[in-house]
Amino acid sequence: MINEENQKRRSFLKNFGIIGALLIAVGLFFRDLWLYLYPPKRKKKFHKYLVAKLNSVPLGKAKEITLGNDPVFVVHLDQGYRVFSGICTHLGCHVRWEEEKQRFFCPCHKGVYDKTGKVISGPPPRPLDQFKVEEDKNLVYIYVETKTRGPWS
Amino acid sequence: MSVKAWLKERFPIDYDKFIEINENIFIKEPIPIHMKKWWYCMGATPLILFTLQVLTGIFLAFYFVPSPEMAYESVRHITQDVRFGFWVRGLHRWGANLMILSLFLHITRVYFTRSYQKPREINWILGVILFGLALTFSFTGYSLTYNQLSYWAVTVGTNLIKSVPIIGHSLLVFMRGGEEVTANTLTRFYMLHVWFLPLFLVFFLVLHIIVLRLHGVSEPEGFPKGKYFPFYPHHFYKIIIATLFLLAVMSALSIILPPGIGLPADPTTTPFHIKPEWYFYPTYRFLRMVPLKVGIYVTAAFLIAFTFWPFIEPLLSKKNSVRRNISYGVGALTLIITLALTIWESLT
Repeated sequence: MINEENQKRRSFLKNFGIIGALLIAVGLFFRDLWLYLYPPKRKKKFHKYLVAKLNSVPLGKAKEITLGNDPVFVVHLDQGYRVFSGICTHLGCHVRWEEEKQRFFCPCHKGVYDKTGKVISGPPPRPLDQFKVEEDKNLVYIYVETKTRGPWS
Repeated sequence: MSVKAWLKERFPIDYDKFIEINENIFIKEPIPIHMKKWWYCMGATPLILFTLQVLTGIFLAFYFVPSPEMAYESVRHITQDVRFGFWVRGLHRWGANLMILSLFLHITRVYFTRSYQKPREINWILGVILFGLALTFSFTGYSLTYNQLSYWAVTVGTNLIKSVPIIGHSLLVFMRGGEEVTANTLTRFYMLHVWFLPLFLVFFLVLHIIVLRLHGVSEPEGFPKGKYFPFYPHHFYKIIIATLFLLAVMSALSIILPPGIGLPADPTTTPFHIKPEWYFYPTYRFLRMVPLKVGIYVTAAFLIAFTFWPFIEPLLSKKNSVRRNISYGVGALTLIITLALTIWESLT
């Protein structure tokens, strides 16, 4: 009777060990293949980029510059400088600054953003993207993502 | 409505008949008793390896770029940057090597058990075709890495084709996509490797298995005749165990001896030491020993004799014992020469 019990326990442990190891191995196999297909997320790196002198843009006005091929707006508000991406958050058209109405307007689908980038009307799903701004010794900088150019990035 | 009924309405198949066919073809396939021994039941190894090659090949194709500018760089990227890239490439590379090795062992086993005899001659020939396809697979495969060795292997390999009488030059231009090894050659080899060869291999593999099933596995001398066991579960589980074992071996090899990337292809400089993969050593050594034309004609004659051996053997004698002795002698001699040339080449 005791022997039989031992036998049962032994075979249970043996089967448990074999099947467990097998499942772990198969699981790892598919996990590794999955990781192979998904490139890891890289930590974003930023660098400072000079966009204006502190007094060069009068209050309530905006200055358009380009970053790569994309428009960027440096806006001087009461709260200080804000820098917006000029890419409409709806479908990627370039927005334009309308000074008399103190707003951004996207000609593609009539999206309207106020001077702080918030959506007033039209289809854009979210406010204009903003850059982190730093004012340092009379100069205005933004933090721009560092992108290395290569076939895999 | 149950799922089964729903499916039955959409796919109006006679399920009982389907299950019966499945039972007859797979589950209850009669396997001769000698195949309970591991030594005799490994014919499925190349099939298992081929399946794994297809899988790892698809995974490699996610990153590989077949252009002269990018081929080497993408192989480097897979091997050094991509997570588990070295492993996937290692599985593919070692899988290819093991595939050739297993085919070599399979052919040797079939030859020495004389399973090619009437009425199985055609299956021997199908097997030889499959072996040729596997070698072409390997050759086109390692040419894709576009390092120095692979570039010059393509140059030398395609130059050999030029020696084929009459159609040699046309064949060379066709293979290279021009007179020289260029981007055309790389895309041609890529196309061969991922489309043409897999389609052909699957076609001949299916034929090979159909003919095998029609005749049943041959029963070698020295085992009780006419005793069988069903495919499922014994043989089925053996195949599963073999698959897991092969994967473990390939994984271990990929980690212990990971695939290298070599130096990028330089069409202006031939490297000092240029050698093909080990499975081409016998042919390579032989071709270096004799004048090129002689080498090619002798190799061609050997290939013809090898392919049609099941038809040649019966012509040699009417007595089975004499035929068997000749076959064993010829086989042993071929094996010794092959091994000797391989060892010789690997030592020089």
